[in-house]
Formats: sequence, structure tokens, C-alpha cells
Amino acid sequence: MFQALRLRWRRWVNRRIPRADKQVFSQRNIFILPTGPGVVFGLLLLVMLITGINYQNSLIYLLTFMLGAILVAAMHQTHRNLAGLELTLVQAGEGFVGDRIPFRFRAVSGRHDAVAISLSFDEHTLSQQHVPAGQAGDLVLSAQSPQRGYFRPDRVRVETRFPFGLLKAWSWVRPASFGIAYPRPVPAPEAMSSVSDGDDQETARAIDGNDHADMRPWREGDLAQRVLWKRYARTGQMVIADWEGEQGSPHWIDYHAFPGVDQELRLSYLTSLVLERGQAGTPFGLNLPGQVIDPDAGPAHVNRCLKSLAVFGLEKPRDNSTSAFGTRAQTAGPTVIREGG
Amino acid sequence: MVTFPGRYEASGSPGAEVPALPTRALIWVIASFALLLAPQWDRLPVWLIASCVALAGWRWLAQSGRVRLPGKWMRTAIMLGVIAIYVATVQGRFTVDTAASFFVLAVGLKWLETRSTRDFYVLFFILVYLATVNFLFHQEIHWAALNLLAVGLLLVGLQTLNAPDLPESMRSGWRRLGMMLLKTLPIVVLLFVFFPRVAPLWSVPLVSGEARSGISDTMRPGDISNLAQSSERAFRATFGGELPEYRDRYWRGLILDFLDGETWRQGRGEPFRRPGRVSVDGGVGDLAPGQYDVLMEPTDERWAFVLEDSVAVSNNVVLSDEGLFRFRRPADTTVRYRMELQGGDSDNAVAGDPRTLRRYLQLPRSGNPRARALAEEMKADNPAPGALVEALMSRFRQQAYYYTLRPPAMPEDGIDALLFDEKRGFCAHYAGATTFLLRAAGIPARVVVGYQGGDPGAGNEYLVVRQYDAHAWVEAWIEGEGWVRVDPTAAIAPDRIESGLRDAVAEEGSFLENDWASPQRYGNMAMLQWASLQLDRINYQWQRWVVGYQGQSQMDLMSRLPGGFGLKELGYATAGIVGFALLVAGGFSSWQMRRSTSRDPVMRLIRRWHRLCDRAGIPVRYGETPAQLAERIGSARPQAGGAARAFARMVNKHYYGNEARADQRQSREKMGRLLITMRKQMSRDTSESRETATHRH
Repeated sequence: MFQALRLRWRRWVNRRIPRADKQVFSQRNIFILPTGPGVVFGLLLLVMLITGINYQNSLIYLLTFMLGAILVAAMHQTHRNLAGLELTLVQAGEGFVGDRIPFRFRAVSGRHDAVAISLSFDEHTLSQQHVPAGQAGDLVLSAQSPQRGYFRPDRVRVETRFPFGLLKAWSWVRPASFGIAYPRPVPAPEAMSSVSDGDDQETARAIDGNDHADMRPWREGDLAQRVLWKRYARTGQMVIADWEGEQGSPHWIDYHAFPGVDQELRLSYLTSLVLERGQAGTPFGLNLPGQVIDPDAGPAHVNRCLKSLAVFGLEKPRDNSTSAFGTRAQTAGPTVIREGG
Repeated sequence: MVTFPGRYEASGSPGAEVPALPTRALIWVIASFALLLAPQWDRLPVWLIASCVALAGWRWLAQSGRVRLPGKWMRTAIMLGVIAIYVATVQGRFTVDTAASFFVLAVGLKWLETRSTRDFYVLFFILVYLATVNFLFHQEIHWAALNLLAVGLLLVGLQTLNAPDLPESMRSGWRRLGMMLLKTLPIVVLLFVFFPRVAPLWSVPLVSGEARSGISDTMRPGDISNLAQSSERAFRATFGGELPEYRDRYWRGLILDFLDGETWRQGRGEPFRRPGRVSVDGGVGDLAPGQYDVLMEPTDERWAFVLEDSVAVSNNVVLSDEGLFRFRRPADTTVRYRMELQGGDSDNAVAGDPRTLRRYLQLPRSGNPRARALAEEMKADNPAPGALVEALMSRFRQQAYYYTLRPPAMPEDGIDALLFDEKRGFCAHYAGATTFLLRAAGIPARVVVGYQGGDPGAGNEYLVVRQYDAHAWVEAWIEGEGWVRVDPTAAIAPDRIESGLRDAVAEEGSFLENDWASPQRYGNMAMLQWASLQLDRINYQWQRWVVGYQGQSQMDLMSRLPGGFGLKELGYATAGIVGFALLVAGGFSSWQMRRSTSRDPVMRLIRRWHRLCDRAGIPVRYGETPAQLAERIGSARPQAGGAARAFARMVNKHYYGNEARADQRQSREKMGRLLITMRKQMSRDTSESRETATHRH
């Protein structure tokens, strides 16, 4: 029963707040209710009114009415804090499972100051920020992802209790974009890493052939040892395998290097190795089933590898209503067809 | 973005950890507490105020980190200690005063426990109620302003609590609060006027243990001269017609007819004091000539002060069989009543019952032999009571009796000493002695205590009677004439009766000699006098129209309005006002919302364009330029593309080109037309695509 009501409520809210990275708050989607202190304050006003009646004290009446009117005015003020505010998810973050992944929102306030706005998602909260009228500010909300892959806060709650904390106005943003949660790095076992680390053991790398290295046509000055003579015999082209590093051979980080290990753990091992290599600054390549990332170095490369590990075997989830304004389009649709028919 | 572990910002804080209270919020609440204590200073015991100040100070020092808040045991010890002192001083008396002081005590103790936001709110609620309680005791305009200021401080403190890092929190807090008050002022005023003033739901006596200055129901020779040192207001009187002459302003309060050694008492004592509130319905409408309103300060007694030969108009006072007027309940609050002066004979003359009169001949068995002898002698000389009274007055007039605020001590046979040795005394001395002599001579006589005089307030609108106008005089029963006023003071110090105490003791310089703060003391400083009178006038009007706006006065006001509102209608009116106010406020805010998009008309057009795109299923992306959006429209809805591109060009021209001011209006109109074209073409596009889709099925 309660659960059903909750679901209905949630559906109703979702209809008002379509899934979109950008959300403008207005009377349509701002909710406002008294807080705990607000309820107590209401009771206090009642007690004050009774005191005023019993002691026939006009000044107590006056004070009660003033405070009551201020409570109503505060309701408008609280509502106005959110009204006209435009909240956009500008950057969905990336991070490791178990770490806090930052989501950057840009808040642009309308005609009124947006005072003491706080964002929250589940138990993650961003303490209050102020966005003066007509200005913009960045709010970064960090959240933890329970598992690797595509991750976004489903409903980010925007709340304000300003000015008196007696009322709270809130609404939600339902971001459409995804952040990415990398697998949690788990140090790979030594024995196994030596296999994939094999610097000059051609056999270790021979599993998937030679085409993993950066290959480029021969140019003057290349050492004869670098020429892939086998390929030359097959195709007649002088091709050089460019390993970049002076040590000569890249590190390959290989999905198949941990036979028998559970997939998620395996990805965690690989993540750890990628980080290790990234920090050492040595070039490396990543070999995943169905995807090979050629050896390279630098932060962008590390990032690319981590992303591939994060979404390995996953598909980007699709939203039920891709259109940001699904409800309106649906209601408008049939009438248009009738006109056409 | 670089994503090495531990490099990115962590702006959020995990969980719901309790934030420390912002210092600036706390300071407002402490200031408010100090203000709210001020009206209580004369009511609360000194130790209580001292401990409240100490506890609040402790909290403040703890906030700045100089001391630590006490631990659990320490706190319990302090609490028990303070409560023990409280119990010891209160000694089981239960009055509103003790309740109020316990309340203050609770607030004081709460300071040590104010750690979290929740405690802050608890404190806020208690302090708001403390302001309410203050209104029970003080209703003057300056105290009311102080109370409201304290509540304002609390509300600013709450704002600071809820947005501690907002820049300029104090100024913007006050401004925001002021705007709220200003916007809601009409509603507050309407509610105040129309909210039905129903009778109390249950009656709670406002019994105060405070010793009020004012006349009491016993009179020892020195009593009234103490009262003469106070310039506190006793009551104010407004007259419908001419003010009575100064010498006729005898405000009778109570009658003392039993001499107990040195002390005059009421022979029958006060009847049992029924608990309950005094009725404050003091009559309504304009004053007829001869009528007068008295606005009396609380006395916690039942007696009302009225001029001689008055009858009651308002029915919150009743006539006693001694010809005095009484409230039905002790006057625990400021109360107004209305009387009417009746020329000539009054009911006094009727009470000629010999048994009743015998009461007024009572004397102690012994004491003051010389006075008794004098009475015998005078009676022998003047057999007629009228003549005897006359002879006594001329004795006072002719012999060297002095009227003084500094009478000598006369412990033994005080009346003898006054009449024959010292010959210096205050009104109470002379009134007591006169009554003694008359009774000794066989003439029924009684001491009347009340006030004599009263100075006009600002603009001569009303009389202010102060405690130093307290007076005692004598009434003697003369056969055929009834009770006749005999005032020995008038014979000894005519100035006192003609123009007041100040002039009567001017030579002595003893007027208000101990009350250095009273403006009345500095009668020669015109400016000060004027300011004091103006303040009194403002307070008088405040008392009459705001504080006294209750029951009958509301009904009176309503009866003047068309429609003849009763209590029920007032209830409807109140509900209507509240509903209407909410409606107006809601409508206003939605109108503002609609306006809130932008003041820039072109920006409004752009918003319309964006909404149009959103509806058409081309959601506007963040940071997209008009031209980019137009391109996307062009590819999604080819027919609308042309209009969209034209619109985007015009937007760019408006913001980045050098469009002449004169052309702007024209181009805006054109943009509006483009939007309409776009909408039509977009819907045509959609319907066509839908049509093909349905045909295909």
C-alpha cells in the first residue's frame, strides 16, 4: 500500500521532471513543505494565539499575526530561492568505484538570488551555495558508484531552507548524461604480472601477433633490426615497428594474462596495472577481448584505458523516454495526426 | 579531465554531520535574550538575572573557544544548583511571576546545551514565547517596540543560521525581514482589526506577587508620604466636557474606618478575592459631556478611583454600599472604565442608619488623652456638628501647622504629638488626627484614601494622575447633609489642593527628592517636560487603540462599519482575509515568475524559441549558439530551417552587430513573426512525418 503510493508519487514527480541534463525550476516542479522546526513553529503560534485569547492581550495577537504573516512571506521567499534557477549538468565525472565521483553542475539564477542551495543525492550532500541574481556558479556534487560502468545520480535533490529554516523547498534534477566508474584497482599478483611484463620475450607478446605495435613506413635512419622482415616477405613493404621507448618494447596489459580469474577481479587487476604504468610514465597497451588499445603513454591514454575497462562488456543504458519533453510530445502527437488524417 | 586517484576535488561532505553553530547567528540570539530580559528586570530576583547573564556569557566565551562548555555532570550540577536556589527563594508561592521567572531560568540553562541546530531552534521557540510573556506584563509602546526588536533579532539570527556564509548577512537579513514585514503589513493590520476577540477559553488569573506602588488598604501616618516620592502613573482620565477644577479633583478610592492603635484599616476587610481576570470592557462610543473615562494602571486590587458624585456608566465597576466603586476582580492589567458626574445630591445622603453610623465612631480604648480632651472641649463650645468641623478647620488654618514631606517621628501618642507638639505632618497625619478628633467629639467620621489632583497631559486631552497625587482626607457625617468632605490639608496647605504637591512643598525642596530619574522632578525644564508629556500621549493613544482593542471596542468599531458584523461574521471575515491574502500572494508570485524570465525582450524571444524547440523534440543543448541550433533545426525539420536560420541571424545581429536603436522594435516584431512561422512549419513537419509513419503501418 505504502509502497504503491510511493511509486505513484515517484511517477508523478518524474512526469513533472523529465530526464534532462538541464532543468529550470518553476512552480511546476518546486515542492514546498514545513520542516520539523516549521511544524513546531506553527504549534507555537497556536499556543501564542490561545495565550492572547485567554489573557485578552492585544499585543500578543499582534505578535502572533506578525509571525504568522512572516511565515507565509517566508514561504514565498523560500520558493523564490529556487524559482527561476537553472541547473545544468555540465560535466559528468569519472572515478573509481568506492571513490567519490564528481558531477559538475552549473547553476544560473533567475531574477532573484538563489540563496543557500544544497544538492544531494542519496546520502551525498553538497553544502549550501549562493548564486546571486542573474549570475552563474558551479556546484560539484560527488557521489559513489556501487559498481563499475556507466553511473549517474538518478535524482539529484536541490533543496533550500533559507531564510528561516522553517520551510523547505525542493525539486530534483534527473541528469541524462552518465559519468563513468572505473573498476576498483586491485594489485595484480606478482607471478602473473611478470608474464605480461616480459620486456623482451617475444613469445609473451606473440599471442595476438605483431600488429599491436605502432607501425609506420620505413624511413631513413631506422635500424635494420626494427624492420618487420616477415611482413616484408609477405607484402613487400618495409614497415617499422615503433616501440617509442628507448627500452625498445612496450608493456602490454592483457586481459588473458589471468586465466581462470573472475571477470570483475580481472578488470580490477588490469586497472591496477594501468595505474602503475601511468604513474611510471612508461608506454603500454591494453588488450581486451574485442578491443585493443595501442601502446601509448600520458594521461589521456591512461584515461582511455580506464574508460574501456570501466565499460567493458556493458552497454550504455537507455532511458525510456529519450525526448526531454516526452509528456508534451505525447499529448500533442495524436491531435496532430488527427489533423493530418 | 585527468583522473588519477586522489586528484579531483571533493566538495561534498559525507553524511549529515552536525554543523557547528555559526557565531554570528549566536550573537543575535544572545542579544535578543538580553533585550527580552530587560522588561523583566524589576520582576526577577537579582540572582536569577545574574546567573542568566553568566550562563549566556559562558556560552559566548565557549563559542570563541576561550572556555569549554561544561560536561554532562557539571551541567547537571549547575542545573540542580540553580533550581535549588529557585525553589528556596520561591518557597512554594505560585504566581505568574514565579512561573515567568522559572521560564527565564529554563532559557538560561538552555544556553549550556546549545550545541546543535536543533538546540538553536528550541532556543528560538522559547525566546519567542518569552517575548509573548513579556507582553503580559508590559504593554507600553516602548516595551512593545523592544519586544518586537528582540523577535526581529531572532529572525535575523535564524537567517544567519541558515546561510552562515552569505556576505553582508546582517544588512541583507534586516532588509529581507523588513521587506517581509512591509509586504504583510496590510494583512496583519486587517487581521488585527477583524480577528474576533472571543471571550477567554478558560480563565487564568494573572496574579502577580510583585508589590505595586500605589495606595494600600491600611494607613499608618508615614505611608502616603512614601508614596509621594513616586512619579509613577496611577491612572489617566479623559473628560467628555470641561475638566473639573483642580481643587475638585478628589478621586475617592477606599474608606478606612477602623483605627487599630496607630493604623487605620478597613473595618470590614476586603471580601474574598475570587480568582479570574478583571473585565476590561470599559464602555464604548464618544464621551458625553459630564462623562469621563479612567484608564487605570494595574493595582492588583479591586478598587476603582472615581470623582465624588459619580455614577458608573460602564458595567465593569459596581457600587459598594459605602459609595465606592469596585471591580468584580482585581485589576491585574490596565483597565478602563467609564463614569458620569452627577451634580448635586448623591446616594451618600441616604445611608443614615444609626447602626451603620456606629462603626464610624470607633476609637481605641486609650491613647492620645490630650486629643480626646480637645475634642470634649470643642464639642462643648460647638454643639452643632457643622460648627465643630468649622472650628477645627480654623484651628488648623490659624495655628502654625506645617505641611511637610519630612515629618518628625512621633512614636508615642502620635496624634497628641502632631496636634500639640510637632505640628508638622503630611496629609495622612492630619486626616487621621481629624477623624480621631471628630469621632472623639461624637461625630461619625472616616478616612478616605485616594488621589487629589492630576496634571493635564499633552494637548490637554486628558489628566494624568500620578502616585505623588495620593491623598487622604476625611468625611464626616452631618445630620441632614449626609457625608461631607473635610480636608484638613486644604486648611493647612491650600497650595496642595489648588495646584498640587510640587507647589505645596516647593519651599522645602523635597518634591521627588529620591526619584532623580523622573521627568516630573524637573518641572522647570520645559523641553524635558514636553518630551515626557508627548511620550505619555503616544502611550495613551497606544493603550486606548491598540492595547485596549478588545471585545467591546471591536464590536463598537464594527457597529460603525456597514454590515453590522458580529463575532461570527468577524470569523468569516478573518478566514476571508487569510484566504484572499494567500491568493493574492500566490497570484503575485506566479505573475513574477512569468516576468522573471528576463527584462530583455530579445532574451524573452530566445526563450520562446527554445521552448518551441523543446516541444518539437529538438532539446536545446548547453552552450549551443543560435546558429548551431538553427542548423540542427534545419536538419531535423527542413521546412523550418529557413526561418530558424533567419532568426539566429537576427539574434546575432542584435547582440553583436550594430543595430540602430530605432530598428530594434521593428526587428523584434519580425523575430516574433519568424517564431510563428517556425512553429507552423515545425508542426507541419511533424504531422507529415507522423502521417507517413502511420501510413506505413
